Amino acid sequence: MTWYLIGAIFLLGLWGVIGLKNLVKQVIALSIANSAIIMLFVYYASLSGEDAPIMDTAGIPVDPIPHALMLTAIVVGICIVALALALVYVLYQRYGTLNMDELEDRIWKADD
Amino acid sequence: MTEPVLLILFPLAGSLFSLLGKLVPAKRVCTALALSIFAAMAVVLFLQLPLVLNGENLTYALGGFVREPGISLILDGPAWLASALIVLISLMVAIYSLDRPEFDLRYFFFLLMLVAGMEAVVLTGDIFTMFVSLEIIAIAAYVLIAWEKSDEGLLASLKYLFLSSVGILFFLLGVFIVYRDLGTLSFAVIAERIAELKTDPVVLGALSGENRFPEKIGSILQGYPGRSINFALAALCVGIGVRTAFIPFHTWLPEAHAWAPHPVSALLSGVLIKTSFFALFRILAVFHAFHMHSMLMWLGSITALVAVGWALAQSDSKRLLAYHSISQMGYILAAAGAASVFSVPAAYTHAINHALFKGLLFLAIGHAIHMVGERNLFRIGPLGRRSPLIALALLFGALSISGIPPFNGFVSKQLISHALDGSPAYILLWLTAVGTTASFIKLSRIALPGPKDISGFRRHDSNHRHSAATVIPLVILSVLVLLSGVYGAGYTRFVWRLVGDPSVTAVEFPALFKVDKFTDSLIILLLGIALYFLVMSPVGKRVAKRVSGVAPKLGTVLTFFVFGLALFSIAAWR
Repeated sequence: MTWYLIGAIFLLGLWGVIGLKNLVKQVIALSIANSAIIMLFVYYASLSGEDAPIMDTAGIPVDPIPHALMLTAIVVGICIVALALALVYVLYQRYGTLNMDELEDRIWKADD
Repeated sequence: MTEPVLLILFPLAGSLFSLLGKLVPAKRVCTALALSIFAAMAVVLFLQLPLVLNGENLTYALGGFVREPGISLILDGPAWLASALIVLISLMVAIYSLDRPEFDLRYFFFLLMLVAGMEAVVLTGDIFTMFVSLEIIAIAAYVLIAWEKSDEGLLASLKYLFLSSVGILFFLLGVFIVYRDLGTLSFAVIAERIAELKTDPVVLGALSGENRFPEKIGSILQGYPGRSINFALAALCVGIGVRTAFIPFHTWLPEAHAWAPHPVSALLSGVLIKTSFFALFRILAVFHAFHMHSMLMWLGSITALVAVGWALAQSDSKRLLAYHSISQMGYILAAAGAASVFSVPAAYTHAINHALFKGLLFLAIGHAIHMVGERNLFRIGPLGRRSPLIALALLFGALSISGIPPFNGFVSKQLISHALDGSPAYILLWLTAVGTTASFIKLSRIALPGPKDISGFRRHDSNHRHSAATVIPLVILSVLVLLSGVYGAGYTRFVWRLVGDPSVTAVEFPALFKVDKFTDSLIILLLGIALYFLVMSPVGKRVAKRVSGVAPKLGTVLTFFVFGLALFSIAAWR
């Protein structure tokens, strides 16, 4: 069940990036899709044991590698989202719109 | 002293110096320190060369963690060649950026981060480090594309950000499947396990049983162990494919490369897309994905032809060059996908040559735009008499990309035609060569002699003079473009020793400078001239306006993306 749920969250985020017409929402959707991948790793690792991976634990320790990987992925994801929001903010200040199609029409068609 | 990790640490240290320059007043000292790291990297590469040529111990464990979760670096022949290319082009770009006030120390910080990221991508020995390095590259590239804060640059950066972030999500999904099915991230171990899978189908079941904690996994793909690894391969290819910019993932490139600051365009077109190509090639090799090669060959040929069609229609000089970058990546991909012992050396030679001449072209055009204050190639005007250096540099670049002997484009195109010998895909590449020639005849109008003083110059009066920082990279790249063509035979032999198949001992190189090769070039040149007049005719101009007006929106592009993933999944299935 959890696998399907994570898959649904990923697809939801992907649909948001492709289908929504508001750049802020698209950035949030990107972040959601990214979180789904992170949950995928973390959930998978959580199945591998029953205790925290600290020395001398009583139970079987979980696999710590996916967690370590995901810490990096989370940091990278935050950088991307922050940068994307900064770009969206500047473009909004200049053009007063959050619609990517409209921005592309107004900025790139103006050159010809 | 010769650990390859220094190749990554030096640029990081250089970016630290750049940041220090913001705090202390000695800005010149900090710039010099930041740039001296390129010399240090060159020394490391030089010291490593004998080891690489001998094929000795090429894997370096970081921090002494030899066992598998530890991170290792691989400095083999292809990685050496790629990092040497990165050092060379980045140094040229850094020198070129020196005397512009808009490129301050913060700019050098991002530039050196980009260099560190690229080095890490080509040297890394595991798939997750590759992901992190790709993201370092990406973040630095987004900032650099938007550096001038023009509307176009900001939007191009945002579009690139959306596309490559979605791509990298798929890459991460691929990493997950690799880790789940093979229980490892290191390239060496992945290659071993995939080889086991290939040789013995019974291992398929055993492998999924050997999975670390089989009884607890309720995977959707559980019923198809071993098969899901094919999907992982497709996802990894798509994630890198967005950066490599072949069709259908190319749509971000023209805008991003055209609206980035000029030296950044040279860096992006010169090495950044090559870096992701090298990464793609490493992944294909690790996964033994020879069954995907013919698809890559066709994809590359189609990319080359379609992109050159778009390039012909452009009147914006930098966008024309950007479309040619896509087209030349198509060449490289087609060469890499050909089933021949020459395919890999041909692809690498062309990748290096393209980096040299496209870097030269972008820097020269960039300087012309900077002087005149105009991007449209019909309005830049003939600069030949005003600035012979730029005209000559442009001419060298144009002759090289059109494959005219004795420039280096000719050499690598001969190798590619040798590698693709007899394949129907070569016809597409041959047509591409005609289109390339035609569009560079169009661009070469900038190099015509023309009047000594045209009105446009008054607008940017202070930009007339050529400083040493502009001249040096243009001269060095022009000389390299010429020399690597004239000494093409020795140069291709050197590339072969680094990237060629070591099991093939008796290798026969195609003779480069022969009469029939020249006649082939001549036919292409004549057809190119004919095509040029066709494009410049009234009908051609109308078609060109239509074609260049076609620009898919972000939503459409992302839909392409899903199709691309489906295509790769089908191709990766076995």
